[in-house]
Formats: sequence, structure tokens, C-alpha cells
Amino acid sequence: MIEALFEGLALVLQWKALAFMLLGIGLGFWVGLLPGLGGATTLALMLPFIYTMQPVEAFAFLLGMHAVVATTGDITSVLFGVPGEGTSAATILDGHAMAKKGEAGRALGAALASSLLGAVVGALALALAIPVVRPLVLTFGSPELFMLAIVGIAFIASLSADGARGMLRGFLAGGLGLFLATIGQDPQAGVARYTLGTLYLWQGLELVPVLVGIFAIPEIIDLMVRGSSIASQLPAGQVSKGAWQGVRDTFRHFWLTMRCSLIGTFIGIMPGIGGSVAQWLAYGHATQSARNAEERKGFGEGDVRGVLGPGAANNSKEGGSLIPTVAFGVPGSTSMAILLGGFFLLGLVPGPDMLTKHLPVTFSMVWTIVLANVVTVLVCFMFLNRLARLTAVRGALLIPVIMVLVYIGSYTSNNHYGDIIVTLVFGAVGYLMVLGGWPRAPFVLGLVLGKIAENYLYISLARYDADWLTRPVVLVLMALAVVVIVYPVVQSRRKVARA
Amino acid sequence: MLGTAYGIVAAWDWPEKAKIFPLAIGIPLFCLAAVEAAWSLLGSERRGGEARDFQLSAEGHGTRRAAVAVAWMLGFFAAIVLLGFPYAVPLFVFVYLKLQGRESWTLSIVMTVAVWGVFYGLFDRLLHLPFATGWLLGFLR
Repeated sequence: MIEALFEGLALVLQWKALAFMLLGIGLGFWVGLLPGLGGATTLALMLPFIYTMQPVEAFAFLLGMHAVVATTGDITSVLFGVPGEGTSAATILDGHAMAKKGEAGRALGAALASSLLGAVVGALALALAIPVVRPLVLTFGSPELFMLAIVGIAFIASLSADGARGMLRGFLAGGLGLFLATIGQDPQAGVARYTLGTLYLWQGLELVPVLVGIFAIPEIIDLMVRGSSIASQLPAGQVSKGAWQGVRDTFRHFWLTMRCSLIGTFIGIMPGIGGSVAQWLAYGHATQSARNAEERKGFGEGDVRGVLGPGAANNSKEGGSLIPTVAFGVPGSTSMAILLGGFFLLGLVPGPDMLTKHLPVTFSMVWTIVLANVVTVLVCFMFLNRLARLTAVRGALLIPVIMVLVYIGSYTSNNHYGDIIVTLVFGAVGYLMVLGGWPRAPFVLGLVLGKIAENYLYISLARYDADWLTRPVVLVLMALAVVVIVYPVVQSRRKVARA
Repeated sequence: MLGTAYGIVAAWDWPEKAKIFPLAIGIPLFCLAAVEAAWSLLGSERRGGEARDFQLSAEGHGTRRAAVAVAWMLGFFAAIVLLGFPYAVPLFVFVYLKLQGRESWTLSIVMTVAVWGVFYGLFDRLLHLPFATGWLLGFLR
């Protein structure tokens, strides 16, 4: 195995594979920065180009591109409050808040360093877990995956606002997200649900226009109302510092970053949960890691831990989601499904052969993830503080550019004006939520998980009837959901009693 | 509450397979919305339970400045629908910089050309994104 590990490294370092990896990194870098242009879309666009490549070169190109998308997506999220990728939306909550406080450099440093750490953890998990992951994946059937979705929403809903009323609003927001996810043609009976008589809504709400609207529009309105730069009146010298402080923060909160990386890896391993979920669960965990309610208050207002958690989870999930793809041919996400297509184009069959005959190729994927992130982070650090200076540019100059990106980003989802209308409608929803103090995170997680949860609930009922509720892992997850809901209430009561 | 009530009523007549999830979510959601509504109407505090999210950082939200911001967004959308992206993008950037930003002619023109160049080079020539022709231009042709 050790031999295969080094053979994998040697394969990636061959000049042709390395050149393709660097090309992929370059593409992924820009795709990540631009809102709306998703990693999955770009993978699909690039798939035809791998026909003439050797497997190692093809995976170096595709994975090199895919591995850095989430990393650079964080940059747009931090600087402008616009999610560069659907998977980097959670970084906005604290990352952009830090940018507004003049700590963009620190937030970017933390996002990049945690991304690198997350990517290494995910790659390590891929290298180590292949022989042992099979029983874990088989333990999680549809009932368990449905409960995992419910635990995720309970987790983020109970932690995203203060007190009992905050929790109520968190659950309302999460429920609303789940409810809106039912818009579109029902996958089982084919009924058009809540489509308002329009053809556009038959395929449901596209995630990117919703995310762009709910996060970017309130920020743009706020920037226009303030009439200043993102970092307000802070001096340019201050905003362009702090990248190394962010790196130090990553190691100061090393175990939090590691735990969030493991959350990302775990979510990545679970087929069908999707990459957008990992960041929110990691954010929820980062919030939960605050020692007391006072410390927790800083989240959403620019706590670096709110950047570290999603940053790490976003990148570690890639290694995680490669595990079921490579080992069983079961893709963990849309991107992995496209990558699976790449396997077949190259004449490789995922499964036992990838762990025996083609083990060096599998390890070359591990190395590609690590090397691609190392290269990206090093390149970014060379001009990170300069990037942070963008937050000191006058709002009047930034707003038209951001708006063009926002509109093009949402339009590219379906190349339909309906995408922009969705962005504007959810922009209004996001603005009103911020104005009224309602949490946006559970809403987005509900929307992301809605379709998956419905599918798993339907399969659970069809396969097990009501018996799925008595499965041991389901019971454990139910208990976990109850603990997640009750714990903050008990903590809050204790605080009142002490006072 | 009204939204979820509509959702529940609309789902009631659907086949079992199609309605199970909307009802499983909609009914508890309606109950939670009723609690929130009661809390808002009868509670001693109007606000409370603030989200851990960014706070709007300036006074004047919901007033004229916010309305102007919304008007620019809607105006840009109207321009895209009428003229299509290739014309709406430079028009919006230039008009925004001149009227709202009160920037100089030179800066406004340079920035407009730069943004349009990136738009045209990247999204149109390189990525071949299919931007629809504006309604007005389509009508005139």
C-alpha cells in the first residue's frame, strides 16, 4: 500500500499530469470566484476534453479543478457577501461580517488555511478509509439518511438564534425551506406542486439563484444605503493586513477545524446528502463550540470560528465524497456523479479494481486533492492582502460590478429570466429576514435538504412502512435531535437561574 | 401562516405519494407559525430571538435610500429583459456610475468598457453562454 501511495505521487508529478493539474487549478480558481458558475457545471463542460488523456492526467485535470472551486468560492463570499459557490454560502455569515469590520485579510487567511487543512483531512480519509468504509455506508439506509437531514436542520435551527423565540424562528425558517423545496414536479406521482401555473417552476427552485438572492441582495442594499465601502471608513492600511492572523486563528482553533473537517468528510461519504449541507452542519458545530451564550453572540457578527468551520468542511467533503465514488461507484454528490462519467470515459470501473489493480491511480487522486489545494493557497497568499483591499474600494464603484455578477450568476442556472426573478424575490425575503432578525441559515439548509429528505422519507415508508422509526440508528439520531433542541434551552435556563 | 395554510389546502387533494411530504412539513409549520403570530401579537416584547446573522449596519433601512437601491435593481432587470445582457450591462454600469455614484466621465467610461470587456470576453466569447435577445430588440428586428 505504501508503495502504491508513493507511486501515486510519482504519477501526479509527471510533467504532463502536473501541467494538466495546473491548468485545472487555473480554471477552478476562476470558476470558484465567479458566482453562479458551479464546479459541477464546469466539470461537465470539461469532461469531453479528457478522451485523449491517460487516467492520471484526466483525474489531475478534473480533480485539480474541482478541488479548488470551494477554496476560491470563499474569497467572493468573504469580500462581497456573494456566494462564489453554493457550497461557500455559510462563509458569508461571519466572513463578510469580518470584512465589514476591516478584517477581510484575517477572514481570507482563516478561510484559506482551514480549506487547506480540510482538504488534507479529506484526502487522508480517502486514503485510509477505503477498506473500512463499506460497513458504515451500508449502515445508513434511507431512514437513517432522512433522520440525518432532520438532525441537520434541528442542529442549525436551534443554534442560529438566541432564546426560545429564536429557536422557534429557526425551526420556522428551516420548515419554510423544506416546504419551498417541494415546489416543482413531484418525483413519485408527477404532480406539479405549487408551480403557480408556470413551466419554469416545474423543475423546482434552483439553488444558486435562491442563494445569490438571499445572501447577496441584502448586502448590496446595505452597501447602497451606507454609501461607503464594504469596510466602511476604516483605513486601507488596516483592511489589507491580517492574513497571517487568520492562519494563526486556524491553528489556535485547530481541533475545531479538525472536527469540522471530519464533519465534512462524513457528509461527503454519505451518498446523496450533497456538498451544500456540510458547510451548514460545520457552521452549526462551530456555533455550538462556543463555551457560553455570551461567546456565541459573536457568531454572525464576525467570529473567525464561523469562517473556519465551513471553510474546512467544504474542502474535506471532496475527499469524503470520492470514497463511495471510487470504492462502490456510488457518487456522493452531483460533481461526483459527473466524475463517475469520467471513470467510464477512461475505461475504468469503480469498485474493487480501483483498490487493487488501479490503486496507484486512486492514490494519485488523493495527491491531486492535496497538491491542488497547496498550490491554490500558496498562490492566493501571494496577493491575499491586496484582495482584501477591495473592501476599501468605494461602494459606488463596486456595486455595479457586483450586481452584474449577481445577475449573470443567477441567470446561468437555467439561462432563463425566471432565475433573476427568483433571485430578486429571495433577495426581498433575505432582506426582510435580516431586518426582522430571522436566521437565514436554517432556511437555506431546509431548501437544500428538502428534496433529499422527501425522497428518503418516501423510500423509508414504501420499504419499511412505520417500522423505519424503530431502526437502532434512527432512534439514536432521533435522540440526538432531541438533545440538540433541548440543550440550548437548558443552557439558557441555567444562565437565567444563575443571574 | 397564510402561505402554509394555502400549501396544506392545495396539497390535500393530491395523490398520497405527492402530498405526504408537503403535509408532513406544512402542518407542523402552520402550528409553529401560529405560535410565532401569537407571540408577536400577545408577547410583551415585540422583538427578541435575534438571529446570529449580520445586522443591517446603517440607519435608514426601509426608507428612501433602500427604495432607491431596490429601484436600481429592478431597473437593471428591466433593462436586461428589454435590451438583453450585452446592451444592458454597459448601460447599467455607466448610468449607475454617473447618476448614483457621481463619478467622473473618464472613470465611468473606463469602468464601463472594462466591465463590458470582461463580460463579452469571458461569458460570451469564451463560455458561449446563451444570452437571450432583449424583448425590445427582438420586437424591433
